[in-house]
This record gives sequence, C-alpha cells and structure tokens, in this order.
Amino acid sequence: MADQAASAPGVAAAQVDGAAPASNLQENSYDVEVQLSDLQKDRENPLGSAATFQELGLSVPPPNEVLEGLTALKFLKPSKVQEKALPLMLADPPRNMIAQSQSGTGKTAAFVTTVLSRVDYSQASTPQALLLAPSRELARQIQGVITTIGQFIPNLGVSAAIPGSIARGGSVDKSIVVGTPGTVMDLIRRRQFDTSALRVLVIDEADNMLDQQGLGDQCARVKGMLPKNIQILLFSATFPEKVLKYATSFAPSANIIKLKVQELTVKGISQMYMDCPGEADKYEILCKLYGLMNIGSSIIFVKTRESATQIQQSMVRDGHKVSVLHGAYEGSERDALLDDFRTGKSKVLITTNVLARGIDVSTVSMVINYDIPMKGAGEATHDTETYLHRIGRTGRFGRVGVSITFISDKKSFTALHAIAKDLQIDLVALSPDDWDETEKQVQKVIKSSRAQANFVPSATSGGQE
Amino acid sequence: MTGSSPVTRRSRQWSSPSRPRISDFLAENRHTELSYQDALAAAQAEHGRVRDAAIRVFKDHELKEECRRLQEQEAAIRQQQRREEERIRNEERVRAEEERLRALKSKIVPKLPPEPAPAPTPTPAPAPPASSTSVSQLNGAGPLNSGTTIISASQQGSIAAGSKPSSLSISQQPPSNAPAVSINGTKVAEPAPTQPFQQGQHVTPTKPPPFGTPAATSSNFLSKALQPSAPTTTSQTPQPPADKYVIIHQNLKKLRASLVEQAKSLPLLKARMGDMRRELRKTLGQMVTEKGGNRKQVGAIQALLQESLNGSIPSQLVDPSQYVVDQRQPMEGALHNGAQLPSLFLYLLNIFAKSIINQFINECGAQPKAADPLGVIAAQIFSNKAYLWRGKSLVDILMAKYRVACPVLFGYRGNESTEQGRIRLGWKRDGTGWAPEQQHIEKMKGLAVGYAAIALRDFSKSPNTNPWPPSKYWASLARIVNTPPAEISNTQCVVLRGMIEIYEERFIQFYGSAAIAALHSALVEFPNKALTKTPGTAGLPVLAHILKRNIGLDL
Repeated sequence: MADQAASAPGVAAAQVDGAAPASNLQENSYDVEVQLSDLQKDRENPLGSAATFQELGLSVPPPNEVLEGLTALKFLKPSKVQEKALPLMLADPPRNMIAQSQSGTGKTAAFVTTVLSRVDYSQASTPQALLLAPSRELARQIQGVITTIGQFIPNLGVSAAIPGSIARGGSVDKSIVVGTPGTVMDLIRRRQFDTSALRVLVIDEADNMLDQQGLGDQCARVKGMLPKNIQILLFSATFPEKVLKYATSFAPSANIIKLKVQELTVKGISQMYMDCPGEADKYEILCKLYGLMNIGSSIIFVKTRESATQIQQSMVRDGHKVSVLHGAYEGSERDALLDDFRTGKSKVLITTNVLARGIDVSTVSMVINYDIPMKGAGEATHDTETYLHRIGRTGRFGRVGVSITFISDKKSFTALHAIAKDLQIDLVALSPDDWDETEKQVQKVIKSSRAQANFVPSATSGGQE
Repeated sequence: MTGSSPVTRRSRQWSSPSRPRISDFLAENRHTELSYQDALAAAQAEHGRVRDAAIRVFKDHELKEECRRLQEQEAAIRQQQRREEERIRNEERVRAEEERLRALKSKIVPKLPPEPAPAPTPTPAPAPPASSTSVSQLNGAGPLNSGTTIISASQQGSIAAGSKPSSLSISQQPPSNAPAVSINGTKVAEPAPTQPFQQGQHVTPTKPPPFGTPAATSSNFLSKALQPSAPTTTSQTPQPPADKYVIIHQNLKKLRASLVEQAKSLPLLKARMGDMRRELRKTLGQMVTEKGGNRKQVGAIQALLQESLNGSIPSQLVDPSQYVVDQRQPMEGALHNGAQLPSLFLYLLNIFAKSIINQFINECGAQPKAADPLGVIAAQIFSNKAYLWRGKSLVDILMAKYRVACPVLFGYRGNESTEQGRIRLGWKRDGTGWAPEQQHIEKMKGLAVGYAAIALRDFSKSPNTNPWPPSKYWASLARIVNTPPAEISNTQCVVLRGMIEIYEERFIQFYGSAAIAALHSALVEFPNKALTKTPGTAGLPVLAHILKRNIGLDL
C-alpha cells in the first residue's frame, strides 16, 4: 500500500477509500462478472425467473394492457409459479390446473392474469370468469388485484358476489365475478347470475375450500351448475395429500405444480418462539417485541375475541394504532377495519383465524402467534396448516419477515414442537430476561435468514424425488 | 358544359327520318313566322341553358378554389400555431432553465470564489505537505459526481473562504480521519472503490443536464478539476466531500462501538441505552399515514433526545465535526456552540437515522405512502433548533447512511453484471452471494421514495431551516438522468421511478414547469436513450402513462 501511494496520487486516494485499483484501465480489467451461480441462485428462488412476462405468451390478444398493468403494479419479472403455471394455463385448448406455491409468491397475480387473458371484453355484461375465495376479505382483495392488473383494459368489469353486495332484484352483469361460495350459489339459484358463458373457474385457497364441510359442499354444488367444459384452476400454498386426491377429481386431468414438504416454508421468514414464564406475562412481553427490530405492520393471531380486545387496550396505551378484526364484526365494518390496516392508518392488526389465509398486506413484517394454532375437538391437536398460512402473512414476495410464537406452558410447547417436526424446521428460542441479548439475537436471526432466502428450492412440476 | 348542349342538338340531328317530326322540319311551313319564333325561342332557351350551366360550373370552380384557399389558410395558421406553441414551449424551457440557474446561482456564488483561490496557491507553493496531499486525494476522489451535493458544502466552504486557513483546517483533519479510513477502507470496501472509477470513467461523458444548473456547476467544476493536470491542486479545496459521507459512516460505526464500550463502565448508561434505542425503533415503527396521528411519537422521540442532551445519563463528550461534512465555527444564537456534544446524543441521532433508513427499506418498498410520515419526522428532528450544532443541522448523519445504502442518489453508477458495478450500486451481499434481485429492487424503491419524502418538504411556514432542501432532490434526479446511455442500470431506473411516483405533485409545486421538463426528461427521454432495456426502463414510461391518466399530465 505504501509503495503504491508513492507511485501515483490517484492510487493513494483509492487506498484511502478502500481496496480497489485506482486507474480506469485497471478497473476495466478488474471488473468481475457476477458469478453464474449467483444468477442461478436467483433462478432457483421462488421469486426469481429467467423469463419475462412477454415470453410467457402474454403478448397475444388483450395482453398489452395486462402487461402494462403488471408493470404498473411493479411486477418486474414473473415469479417461479407464474413462469411455470402461466404458459400451461394460457395454452389452448384450456386445461385444468392445480398449483401449489409458497405464501406470497404471486399465485393471485398468476390466476388473475389468466382470467384477464381469457375474457372477451366485447361482451362486457356477460359473466365469463368466476373466482371463489373462502372469505369476504379475500374475495375483495382478489377483486382489487383484478382491477389493478386490469386497469388499462377498457370495458373491464368485476362484480363481487359477497353477502350484501348484490340486491335481491339485481343481476350479475360484469364479465368477471369474485365471490364466496355461499353467495354465489344463492345468486345462481335465484337466477340472478347467468353462468352459461362462463369459461374459467378459479378456486383460491383450494385445499381449505374443498376440505371444509360447508365450503366443500358449496363449491361442489356451484361447479355442478356451471358449463361442463369450463377450465378449472385450483390454487393454494398447502395441499394435504387427501385433499389433493379430491382436487384431482374436482379438476380432472389437470396439470399439477406441487411443492415438497421442506419447501413449504418461505425461508425469508425468520421463525422464532418466545418462552414466556406464564400466560399473564404475555402482554408485557408482546409490547417489548416492537423495539427489537424495525417493524412495518404486524398481525397478532389470538384464540378468543376477548383476549383480542384486552391486547388491543394494552397496545394502544403503548402508542400503537391497532385494529381488531374477528367474526363478531359485520361485513362492512370488517371491510373498513382491514382497509385501515392496508393503508397504514393502523399498523397492528389483532385477529382470529378469520384472516389466517390469503390476506396480502405487503408491509407486514411480523406475525405473532399469541396463541398457538390448534384444531379438532377441544383444541387437542396442533394445526400445522394454519400455522403455515398465518406466518405466510409476512415475508410477502421476497420480503423479510419475522414470526414469533408465544409458548407459556407444556401444552403449547408440545404443540409447537410438533409443528416444527411436521415442517422439518428449527425454531429459534428467545427469552424475555435480557432484552439487550434478545435484541442481538433477533438481529442475527434476521440477517441469517435474509441470506437463507437465497437457497429456497424451486417449485417443480409434479414434484421431484 | 360540354356534355349538356350537344344532347339536344344530337337528338334533333339524329332523330329518325321515319318520325313525323322530321317531315315537320322539312315541311312547307318552315319559313313561317311561327316556326322562326319557335326556333328563336328554342335557341334562346338553349342559350340560356348553356349560359346557366357555364355560370354554375364557374361558381362551382370558384367555390372549390375558395375552399382550397380556406384550407390552405387554415393549414398555414395551424402551422403557425404549432410554431408558436413550439416557441412558447422552448421559451418555457429556457425560462425554467434560467429560473433554476438563478436559484442556484444564488447558492453557487459563494462557492466559486474559494475554489479558484486555493487552486493557484498550492500550485506555485513548493511541495505541499505529504499528509495534505493524501487528504486532498481523499476529497478529490469524489468531485465528479459531486455535482450539486457540494452546494451545501460550498456554503460552508465560504465560511472557510480564507483559503489558507481552510486548507490548514483540512490538513489538521486527516490525522484523525485519513488513517481511520484506510483501516476501514479495506474492511468496508463497499462505497470506496466507487470514487476512483467515477472519476476516471465518467468524466468525459458527463454532460450538463438539459435543465437545471446542477450540471452547469458540475461541468464547470469538472473542467476545472480536469484541466490542471495535477488533480492534487484542485482537490485541495474543502468542497467535494461527497464521499466524506463514507467517512462519516465509518465514524458512526466507531461511535456505536464506543458507546458499547462506555456502557461497560457506566452502569447508568448501560441501564438506559438499550431501552432508549428500542424505544426509538418502536416509535418509528408506530408512525402512521394519518395526518396528526403521530403527535405522541414525535413527543416520545424528542423526549429521548432531550434526555440524552441534559446530562442525566453520563456519556463521553465527542467532537461532532466527525459527523458533518463541513467545517463549523461557533454561531451566534446557536444552542450548542461548544466543541463537543454528549456521545449518547449523537448515538441516538444515529440510531434514529438508521431506523428511518431501515423503515424505508422494510416498509416503503411495499407501501410507498408510509414514507411520508418518516420524511416529516426526519426533517422535523434534523431542523429542530435544539438539535443543531453550531447553528446547523446534523442531517449528514442521516445522509451518510443514505449514501451507503443508496449510492445511486449520489450520482454513483455501475454495471449490474459485474461485481464492482453491483458494489457501486449498493447491491447488498448476503452470506456467500448477492442478495436476490427482488430484494435489492424492493430496497431501492423504498429508499428512493424515502428520499423524496425527506427532501420535498415545505419549510416556507417554518421558522427552521430545511436541513435537506428540494434542490438536493433536483440534484439527485439530475445525476441519474444525466447518466450516459450506455451506463444506465436497472437500479437507477427503479430509484428514479421510486423517487418520482406519488411525489410528482409536490415536485411540480416546488419547481413548476421546470419540474415538468425534468419529469419529461426522466420518464420519456431517459428510458428511451438507455441502450439496454430492462424491466426498470419499461417501468418509467408506464409511470408517465399513469400520470397522464390520473392527473392529466401529458409529458
């Protein structure tokens, strides 16, 4: 370094500033191409992709508008599931599709893009595509995505078929319909919804929709009232084996995109648990968590409505703007609460399992399982799927997210242990004793899982191995 | 005309002889008065008909001519109009440029004098001391992209206008700075290599931007920097510390380490420091977009800073000049005029800056609107008289962090397919490789909109001075837009769009038609001139499209 400094003044500067050569001549010869393995890694990432949207066959009929809409939404390149599924879904003649991909990897955009490309906009008042979701929030969210991606399409119309949205005498007169199965079924029965020209049926959160007693029946009935040659697209982040079997008969001879168990969790989400001395300490510990890292918005999942209200009170005292959303609220009230959260008017959302699935608020950087998810009679067994969907509310589209699950007794500890075993993951333990230490640990975990995000294997057709 | 008259004649001429009419025409009585009168009347009628036809045709013709004339006239007028419009547009553009020029001139004027002054001095001066040379290199490395950033520095530069003292004061600094940097330089490597490259590579292509003076200044500055073949002389000036930010960034790291050390021996500090840091972080995370919804948070942050200043928690006193780009002398009426401030206070400002940057990265890439309250609080805290040092803002603490996180805003550029290029663009490494593209892009989006949220604040009704005025925004925009076509990177396009979207109206409020010209340049010309088309370049015209649709702004 010393002799270099003597040789030329420019070198001295470079050395002062860092270990780099100074003259531009050297710089050129010194430039190293970004390693192929890095680019490759990008490709293996569920969000990385070699292709562009143009290459995925989107440049046929209406698509320029769709493409422009995707760009406006800042979708720069297709994600893995989009790259794989779009060409299959857009191919003619249309074929059914069952697609699984991790939470927050662009499933909604994939099927919305397909729907938008299948509709004939010259017949704007004839329903041509039907999308079903398990909750009104999710249906409205999908409706929002359709209008955003389709913002440049003239004559685009989307109807929401959710409770209270279509008057008794009215009829469904838009080309795309998004709804919950119950309402859609009623509308068809009352002849307010003409299904004769429908060509695409999308079922989001399909495992949940087909599996649950009520929803499953409704979906099957709705399907029975639709044209026989309709293209069926089933999407979810989870597809338990037995549901998948049913799904293949629901959507016969479908293309299938499936994940391996180890691929289920998004590696960008740091999963931790907090060892609370007792149930009563949880409140105070909860508030402390917000100082450990920079948090955009957060969602807290609780078991009962009562504890939701209690937590809300203590958090408001601590300066947080909090929304509480659970089944006790009426439809429009729920819409307003969720909108507040979406737009950043409130940054903490306390909710029950109502919102475990599908809701996409991109700023959510922390999910807290205040109560661990359980299922079955007497809440006896751990619920891995719900856990997965809950933590999937963060780490959307490659962002970094944190999930912290509270345990306070033997039962919750055992349940969490079982979930970790199901997913083949290790959870990081946090302790509320020394916050300086805990902070250090959290920062370390976030850093390392950011690095890990690189190594997520891809979604592969049919699943490998 | 020709078609009409013969018809009748022909019919008479060719009428068949077998018809009685012909005999009629050969009849005896053909010479009777009656027949003459008949013939006369017929001739008269024929004449009238022919004349009418002629007149009609003539009128038709005249009408057609008139039409053509009118059309021609209209076209001429239209063309004239177009020419006029063009002229107006040109004039507007020129005016806008002049406006900018004038606005900036007022700022630049103090800057120029110190510059030429030192330049001649050292040249004749025999052998400047070795240490000062290396320092000057340090500064000299940045001048290129320095463009306007330096303006602020220049203001301060004017204080040190007496060239000798200024150069002296710098050479005093190096002992504290230079070695430190060389140590860290190798370690950090991140922003460092940028400078020499910038200097070497981009000198020639840097063109004055079509609008705005930043370019004028920079080109001015450049030519000066280039002509004297010994760069040493030019860099002697205190101005170009664009990369002093990197040094400040290093110094801040050391400050944090020092606080951790101090806490080991000061139990009171240890007890409070972590809580204060977490409180600050939590508070910034609580900021909401609703107007007036953050009062409690602002109060909490100010209470923390106040606590660190009032001495109730012990911490070493340190020299704040390590954390600002300029040289400062005590200023009348300033609250803190001493040579030192409690290190805990500077530490908290640093944590505040870090948290804001992290919040931009984590939150605003996904939700750009969340940047605004953060920009407000940043401007509020860094302009607050209670937190100024020697009458001026400590905003450089925030900008040092910005310079490292988003170099593109400070004029750095690089090729994304090379390792060095990525380093220059602030692309993070994680673990063994580079961060995924999606993550990098998202981060840049958040930082870009955050920058707009900080820089585009209206201080016209505030008694305080804007710590990072809109001219900084303009300068950053200009630095990106003036990138030579071959070197335009996707990152730059992403940043450009990020800093414009949702702040376009504010930008126009500040700069009027000049802003519109700048937007045209950024959203229409810039993506068009880029040699490599990327998703980022495609995003810019789409924003133009959206602006046209939403606010009727036709670029």
